[in-house]
Amino acid sequence: MQRNASLPCVHSLRVHGVVEESIVDGPGLRFVVFTQGCLHGCPGCHNPATHSFGEGYETTPQALLTQFATNPLLAGVTFSGGEPFLQPEPLAFLAKQVHALGKTVVVYTGYTLEALYPLAQERPAVASLLEQTDLLIDGPYVAALRELDSGLKGSSNQRILDNEAIGSLWNVLQLRQGNVPNG
Amino acid sequence: MAKQIVKRDGCSVLFDSSKILNAIAKANKAVGEEEITATGLLFVTEEVCRLLEARSLSNVEEIQDVVEEVLIRFGFSKTAKAYILYRAEHTKIRDAETYLMDIYKKLTWAPAKEEDIKRENANIDGDTAMGTMLRYGSEGSKFFIDNYVLPKDAAAGHANGDIHIHDKDFYMLTETCCQIDLIRLFKKGFSTGHGYLREPNSIESYAALACIALQANQNEMHGGQSIPNFDFAMAQGVNKTFRKEYVAAFACFLEVKNELDAAEAVARTEVLLQGLPYQPTLGNGEAFGQALLACHGETMRPLLAKTHLHATQKAIQATRRRTYQAMEAFIHNLNTMNSRAGAQVPFSSVNYGTDVSAEGRMVVENLLLATKAGLGNGETSIFPVQIFKVKAGVSFNPEDPNYDLFRLAMETSARRLFPNFSFLDAPFNAQYYREGDYNSEVAYMGCRTRVIGNVYDTERQVTCGRGNLSFTTVNLPRLGLEAKGNTAAFFTLLDERIDLVFRQLLHRFKVQGSKKVYNYPFLMGQGIWLDSEHLKWEDSIEEVLKHGTLTIGFIGLAEALYALLGKHHGQCEQAQALGLQIVQHLRRRADEKARETGLNFSLIATPAEGLSGRFVALDKQRYGTLEGITDKDYYTNSFHVPVSFSIAAFRKIQLEAPYHALTNAGHISYVELDGDASKNLEAFETIVRFMHAQGVGYGSINHPLDRDPVCGYIGVIDDCCPRCGRKEGEGVSEEALLQLKKQYHDVPM
Ligand code: SF4
Ligand SMILES: [Zn+2]
Repeated sequence: MQRNASLPCVHSLRVHGVVEESIVDGPGLRFVVFTQGCLHGCPGCHNPATHSFGEGYETTPQALLTQFATNPLLAGVTFSGGEPFLQPEPLAFLAKQVHALGKTVVVYTGYTLEALYPLAQERPAVASLLEQTDLLIDGPYVAALRELDSGLKGSSNQRILDNEAIGSLWNVLQLRQGNVPNG
Repeated sequence: MAKQIVKRDGCSVLFDSSKILNAIAKANKAVGEEEITATGLLFVTEEVCRLLEARSLSNVEEIQDVVEEVLIRFGFSKTAKAYILYRAEHTKIRDAETYLMDIYKKLTWAPAKEEDIKRENANIDGDTAMGTMLRYGSEGSKFFIDNYVLPKDAAAGHANGDIHIHDKDFYMLTETCCQIDLIRLFKKGFSTGHGYLREPNSIESYAALACIALQANQNEMHGGQSIPNFDFAMAQGVNKTFRKEYVAAFACFLEVKNELDAAEAVARTEVLLQGLPYQPTLGNGEAFGQALLACHGETMRPLLAKTHLHATQKAIQATRRRTYQAMEAFIHNLNTMNSRAGAQVPFSSVNYGTDVSAEGRMVVENLLLATKAGLGNGETSIFPVQIFKVKAGVSFNPEDPNYDLFRLAMETSARRLFPNFSFLDAPFNAQYYREGDYNSEVAYMGCRTRVIGNVYDTERQVTCGRGNLSFTTVNLPRLGLEAKGNTAAFFTLLDERIDLVFRQLLHRFKVQGSKKVYNYPFLMGQGIWLDSEHLKWEDSIEEVLKHGTLTIGFIGLAEALYALLGKHHGQCEQAQALGLQIVQHLRRRADEKARETGLNFSLIATPAEGLSGRFVALDKQRYGTLEGITDKDYYTNSFHVPVSFSIAAFRKIQLEAPYHALTNAGHISYVELDGDASKNLEAFETIVRFMHAQGVGYGSINHPLDRDPVCGYIGVIDDCCPRCGRKEGEGVSEEALLQLKKQYHDVPM
């Protein structure tokens, strides 16, 4: 997906917590941001404490970036949840800064890419965050389809989409809506 | 007058007043003044006897009380004092003897799992006859050493936990460890003391003899055994195997192609391969093929080309298969074979990764593949501890000839915890490195011991044929507590401890040096130890032992810093600065002592899981439970950041790396990963590369292993348990468990 040149600086986001170095949330060592707040309510969710919107704490993309940048071993950042696409503006901004450091961005979402499309019509930052996503694991967690051994996916209904796959699917969605894909 | 007296053990003997007289005479003589005449002695003795009868006393202790009383009453106060001391001394020895007998009783009658003392060394099976016999020996030896061998200050320092003398029960017997050069040993064959073994001729026999050498040497030393050049040594076995396979396949092809009988095909092969400038090897297939064709006439060439191609392919296949099996057997043997009177698996380490020959690479590839596959049902093996040598230009960078093996090593380690990684480019290791000379490549004993520098013989700064003689560890947290926050006081106390350790190491070295070649028929008799090949059977080994290292270690830097500053080096910069200062000081003192004596005094980051528990327990008794210091079961390993302290991997590596440069007798840094590293090799490699960049000498990456609560298996469990075969949620029958219990000691019952 093509990356847009400019993004507004956004001041704050609500997170549940961060993990400084994880080896289970994407390739290499990754800095994981667990966002606070989720509406999906997947039965069997592993992270119910991230659902409410009041808990967790406020922080800024800048503060997260500073912490991220001190660690030379990190391959990139991973946004997990909670639902990252409920706070797309600050995350897209942060993701862009991470790319500027030459590192990668992995995003987990309980939405399918198809479900994100209509959201993006009302909230352009959704598309911006997708543009900044190198690897997207999409779709709700389905306990009955739990995968033990598949690495990144929690259940087999989920997909792992790289930036290119996101872009082409997105174009298909636009065509379906009768919009002309840009670029 | 009492006719009988009752001894301490309860039995009665006939009363004999001359014994009392003799004891008084002895005490009086020891004083040297206040002389009691012969008549005086008789008089005192008579008075003792009279009192005993009057009070009808008959117990040994009571008799001695009366002797003291009479001596004092008659004004022989100095003699009385000497008598009391003499009594106390004997009581002490007697108590110790009772203590020793108590230990023997425990060793004999209690099952190992109930008695800590029987489990002291995890490698020894304390329930077997030989295991128990070993423990009798070890406990008896400790008793003897404490009471009759050790200098009083060293014995006291060890007993009260100021220092820890490692492998004390072997004090007057042998040295710690040795790095064995198999290439030298195998040349012309060797003798284990139980029989002569000729030079091996196939990869299978190379691997088998490697095990035997480790085992034989282990029986003569108290620490572990290491092979510093495993790939180079085994490559020769691969070479011989390949040549034989090539010749056999060559003959086989001729036999079928030309319809010869077997004997004729062999004879023909011999003729055809004669007179060539070199032998066929794994790596020179093409060149050898050309040489072969050039040697023969035009008409022969098409057949020869075909035969050569076939022979090469077959030989490679067969050699690879045989090498894999040999490596599999090597691992299996080292995990099951016994040494030390049959009760202990040898602690073995192998270093490899820098041999770029086709043969050496085949060895390493197959050792790694066999390790990755696991023992038997896929269990993770404990021995040998494997160390992969990382070197830029050889194995570190993607364009390096052994980079593929480095990758395979990481893949294996992510699954099996071994190999660990040693870094030949760290400046303190690189200074010895000479390209193409394995003897200049630093090697690590699995536990972290490092021996390469040599002040005794600066021309021989090499790995092979050398090892540690002994080491003794300083309890740093106690110094921190004694110094009461005063850094200057800390260093004064540290210097006292260092002096004590140096005296003790030299004392032990004298004892070790008094031994003869015949005390070490394998290590010295077969010329494994450097320069021992020049010695005769009756010669003293003192001079050649000087190639070994005398090592001071330290434990609990983190707790010592906490005691001094209220923070450890993971928590604050100032603590890190002081930590470095302390370890620099230790190193400086070791270097000075080395210059002064011409002996290899050196500094190790002590690997002492068992010992650190002993120090804490003693300090807790003395100082109580102190937060951040004695409120734990173990003092933190050497210079490590405490395990319980949560810290990012990169920070831990940055903080610990500078200590590697200071600890010239050995070091290791661990990084703990949370999650299955075998599914994220990129992360694994990132960390290894960062260790390299930061100047770490020896590193290991750990990750939590799964444990099956039903059968006790510990290791990676993907889908079904490699030991009992059950999947999550399934059960295992009682009989199957009992069957497993016979095979594995750790099956819960
Ligand atoms: S989307 Fe994630 S956080 Fe939200 S309910 Fe589903 S599994 Fe839980
Ligand atoms: Zn099991």
